[in-house]
Amino acid sequence: MRIRGCLGVAALLGVAPLAAPGAQELNVAIFGGSFVDNVRTCVVEPFQRASGARVNFVLGNSVQNAARLRATRGRPDVDLAYMDSQVAVQVKAEGLLDQVDAAKLTNLPDIYPSAVDPDRRWIGYMYAATAIAYNPRELRTPPQAWADLWAPGLRGKLALGDISATSGQHFLIAAARLNGGSVENVEPGFRAIRELRPHVVTLYTQADQVVQLIERGDIAAAVWFSDRVGAAARNGVPVALVFPREGAIGILPTFSIPQGARSKDLAEQYMDRALSVDSQRCLAERQYAGPTNRKVELPEALAALVPYRESIDRLYFPPAEIVAQSLPAWTDRWNREIAR
Amino acid sequence: MAERRQDPTALLLLLPLSLLLLAAFVLPVAGLVPTSLRPYIAGRGIGEGWTLQHYVLALTDAFYLEVLARTIGLGLTVTMLTLLIGYPLAYILARSTSPFRHWLTLLVIFPMLLNLVVRTFGWIALLARRGLVNQWLIGLGITDEPIRLMFNFTGLLIGLTHIFLPVMVLVLLAVIQNIPVDVEDAAATLGASRVNVFANVVLPMSAPGILAGSILVFVLTVSALVTPRLLGGPTYKVVSTLVYEQFLQLLNWPAGSALALLMTAIVLLLLWLGARLARRWEAGA
Repeated sequence: MRIRGCLGVAALLGVAPLAAPGAQELNVAIFGGSFVDNVRTCVVEPFQRASGARVNFVLGNSVQNAARLRATRGRPDVDLAYMDSQVAVQVKAEGLLDQVDAAKLTNLPDIYPSAVDPDRRWIGYMYAATAIAYNPRELRTPPQAWADLWAPGLRGKLALGDISATSGQHFLIAAARLNGGSVENVEPGFRAIRELRPHVVTLYTQADQVVQLIERGDIAAAVWFSDRVGAAARNGVPVALVFPREGAIGILPTFSIPQGARSKDLAEQYMDRALSVDSQRCLAERQYAGPTNRKVELPEALAALVPYRESIDRLYFPPAEIVAQSLPAWTDRWNREIAR
Repeated sequence: MAERRQDPTALLLLLPLSLLLLAAFVLPVAGLVPTSLRPYIAGRGIGEGWTLQHYVLALTDAFYLEVLARTIGLGLTVTMLTLLIGYPLAYILARSTSPFRHWLTLLVIFPMLLNLVVRTFGWIALLARRGLVNQWLIGLGITDEPIRLMFNFTGLLIGLTHIFLPVMVLVLLAVIQNIPVDVEDAAATLGASRVNVFANVVLPMSAPGILAGSILVFVLTVSALVTPRLLGGPTYKVVSTLVYEQFLQLLNWPAGSALALLMTAIVLLLLWLGARLARRWEAGA
């Protein structure tokens, strides 16, 4: 009887601390996988040491984080949300994002202006690109351009991203631009991908699927993310990166503070830490993320693998608003013409 | 149809469950109705005003109609298959006098103890292009090229039938066990052949069980999400994966709500029809 009583009290005590409100707690909605581990090392640890606050991560992809903000409108359960730029601009248009106080971000002046929302409601913290990944053991002459992906030599050995993955959307844009179209007119892109489709092994929906496909030998090349290639290569996967000649498609992941966030001050401190030279260099080394802070210096070998200084100019960044507005129509058409 | 006075005790006993269903199910689903009637502007979010465009699109567009038909077809086929496979199984288990019959029952239910994702991954390992089934078929020389057993109707059929078979067996088992063996013996004594006993006595008497099991399996099949996502992939969609896509990829909550409510209405209609047919069958027995 006494033991049961003690257990009961212990259970109550165990539950109680979770209910305590966090003046020194920061809740962040963030992407998962190797990314969150590297962010813990590069951003969270120095942040926790400096501020004494605890960071709680809630995992989700861009759209899931956006759905969370929309569902908790005005009373968000997170103080900071990571979203890719085309999702962030939509969420901003729905009035869900708060304006960041420029005075609180000491590193803001060092960030490339194109990576910051003019209204300061979202800030890009890294550059990545949708480019071509290939297995150097299988392909003696790797593809050098988007156009090379249609070559007969790659038939039955190629993986593309589904339209639901950023790489799928970007490949559609790249295919369109390759054939005389643009982000506004993707008709040539659909035609070209329809042609390619019978020779494609699979349309992946999760970025990690590509690793398995390469390791099993199902594919020799894929349209993939530059930062994922670097991280996989470091883990021993036989994969190398090519920034295609016509120009890789740039990705700008961003973070934002939702309206009504409880710890806005702490969130701004976190942002400042993530935008600092040290954190950005750390993330570049571990996650192969291109820094958005101009002042970051990278060694040559690394600079060749990530979007950095001049190579950022060679990337094509599709206008986020146009992508956000066109995505439902693209998805619809993709479902009917490509994914059948 | 004799008139029956409503027993107040019965109503009172139903109250807690009704309240729970109301609060946790009916109200949230009803909350989807206004959302489904709003327009959606890509890049801007959910708009103001009311519109029926999402319902109209779902009912007139060839792609959506194909997915709807596919989902219902899958539901009906899986239900029939689980019935055909499950009924003999349940009958044998119910009539078995072996000391091991409880272990046999456990064996049938055993897959349900495993996580659904794990079970579906098991099927992926079997049905993939380089999976075990294709390896055996090619190794035995039955076929040269691997057969497409995934990302199509066949793959989903196999996976869903296997996953929901225990449900059908359990329901039928309970019902058949409640048909006294004496009834079968009585019919036999009166000169009915074994087939006759089965077709004209056991089967109609287990009609409520068949109906209950079919409803359960049908509803579970058309609302399944994990298995279609994994075995169907992005290229072979059913209604639930389409709704998921609208909600969590395109942020188009109005269209997703409309699809979900439409599917609910269709399923309710089919269930009502099925119940009427079953009752007529049982009454005629």
